[in-house]
Amino acid sequence: MSDATLRMSEVTKRYGTGATEVTAVRGVSLAIEPGEVVLIMGPSGSGKTTLLLMLGALLRPTEGTIHLNGERISDLSEGRLPGIRLHEFGFIFQDFNLLSALTALENVALVASLAGRKNGEARRKAQDLLSQLGLEARLHFLPEKLSGGEKQRVAIARALVNDPAILFADEPTANLDSKIGRDIMRLLRSIAKEQGRSVVIVSHDQRIKDIADRVLWLEDGEFKEMTTMAVDPVCGMSVVKEGAAATLEQYGVLYHFCSRGCRAEFLNELMD
Amino acid sequence: MMRLAVRNLFQNRMRLLISVGGVALALMLILSLDAIVSWIEQRVAAYIEASGADVWVSQEGVRNLHMASSSLPADRVDEVAAVPGVESVTPILYVTNVVAMGEERAIAYIIGLPEGAQAGGPWNLVAGEVDPGPEGAVIDQGIAEKSGIGLGDHVEILGRAFEVVGLSGGTSTFTNSIAFIRGQDFSDLRANPGVVSFVLVRVEGGASATEVATRIEAEVEGVTAQTREAFAAQERQVVRDMSTDLLTIMNSVGFLIGLAVMGLTVYTSTLLRRGEHGVLKALGAQNRDLYLSVGLQALVSVGLGLAVGLAFTLLLGAVVPRLVSNLGLRVSLPSVGKAAIASVVFAVAAALLPIRQIHRLDPAMVFRGK
Repeated sequence: MSDATLRMSEVTKRYGTGATEVTAVRGVSLAIEPGEVVLIMGPSGSGKTTLLLMLGALLRPTEGTIHLNGERISDLSEGRLPGIRLHEFGFIFQDFNLLSALTALENVALVASLAGRKNGEARRKAQDLLSQLGLEARLHFLPEKLSGGEKQRVAIARALVNDPAILFADEPTANLDSKIGRDIMRLLRSIAKEQGRSVVIVSHDQRIKDIADRVLWLEDGEFKEMTTMAVDPVCGMSVVKEGAAATLEQYGVLYHFCSRGCRAEFLNELMD
Repeated sequence: MMRLAVRNLFQNRMRLLISVGGVALALMLILSLDAIVSWIEQRVAAYIEASGADVWVSQEGVRNLHMASSSLPADRVDEVAAVPGVESVTPILYVTNVVAMGEERAIAYIIGLPEGAQAGGPWNLVAGEVDPGPEGAVIDQGIAEKSGIGLGDHVEILGRAFEVVGLSGGTSTFTNSIAFIRGQDFSDLRANPGVVSFVLVRVEGGASATEVATRIEAEVEGVTAQTREAFAAQERQVVRDMSTDLLTIMNSVGFLIGLAVMGLTVYTSTLLRRGEHGVLKALGAQNRDLYLSVGLQALVSVGLGLAVGLAFTLLLGAVVPRLVSNLGLRVSLPSVGKAAIASVVFAVAAALLPIRQIHRLDPAMVFRGK
């Protein structure tokens, strides 16, 4: 693993042309340091996924540059980008995206094989990683036999198997219950802090703020100033005030909630 | 990628069954047709091969039996017998006609044999006498059984009734059989005395059949002399030439069926795994890795299809002769080689179809929930 720094300078991404042109990201600059956990939040359609795709060398910016360890990856040929993704980046998806025909062990080992590791070595590395993540009893299970949390841990092992400098996680807790989601968040933080890898997370989940070193708010394709965070008085979750699902003013105090359910519960308690 | 290819292939067993079954069916069609023609070629030349003659002498320019007519003056027989290196000569008469058995009429090579013929008679007698004798006939056992004819019954050959005195084996194909009668009866019925069709020559021990044949052609006027092997090869070639168009059409049909089945199954399989291919590309797999996976799936499918197709063709080869007496299959190595080449073409063509699809696949789609 290299101590990679990923830098994005004045990056703009436009889709379409003429009357149908849409600017998804406009003039965004960002630097990600080794061992840092960066959380990118924002409303739907704010450009979060487009930003993640460009950072992960899956999409070219229309304007601006992206450098990885000083190398301008935004201008690399299509043929070189898979190699960058394979060796320098790891990806974790909302839907886990494990290959359904392969076991947990094979899913992880395949990505190591793609990077040039011999079969035996790839399987050993995959087994070690899965065991470290508490999946030693699930090595030979197909994804359909695994729980959501187990699938996400397999996906994390797959993302780590080629020793990447940076992990990109797209809504990593969205399909998990709160306890498992919290475990995954802790796991991502420990990967960053103990292994020195950068972790870039795109999520709506306010809880992830607790493990992030930096929280960035993206709206209309631009980073906006973060105002103070609020705590949901019902579930205790941190809520970005601008992104709160519901609010309620009571006796001159403005409360912010993570969901309408929490607001309704709060109102019920007040009435009782 | 090999493991992924095999796992993907076996994950959907129904699709695998359709794909392997389709290829097996197509290859079975190709293999069976080849095997039938190969069997006919062998059977057609069986009489020549088993005649016991080292050299076949015919009218000049006549080089085979099937659909041919040869007429030699009877005095040529003695001229041939006088050629150095010739041990014995057997003149035979030959015509393609029918053997009528009640309502049944079967096309047959009618062979007229001299008394005490040293060559050209039935070579695998199943029942009765080898020598047909006057007004007697030796006919094919399968044809006789089919019509309920046995020894002592009568059949009609060249317009006259003959008593069945012998039954021979291996003397029929699905197009015709061979019936043996006395040469004298043959001559009487054809009203063409003083003529023979072929002279079957046995060469002296140690003499070369090729050299004797050359000598006969040089010393006897108006004849063509060929070794048994050359004459049989000509006979097989005639059958091959006659069946080439049929074989080409049926092989093309088989080929197109195989291609369509493989192409469709590999294409739909790739389409259904579009998302997984997208994930692999996002993770850093190169297009060539995915091409390899798709190619391996196609190759394994057609390999299984070839094995199943070959097994079923061999099974047909064992079953068909028990059900149909005058039909068989002879699977030859060149035929298996041809089917193997067709399989490789199926695999390559089927794998080529989805390549464009994979090439254009945008890995970013994985993050957009597509």
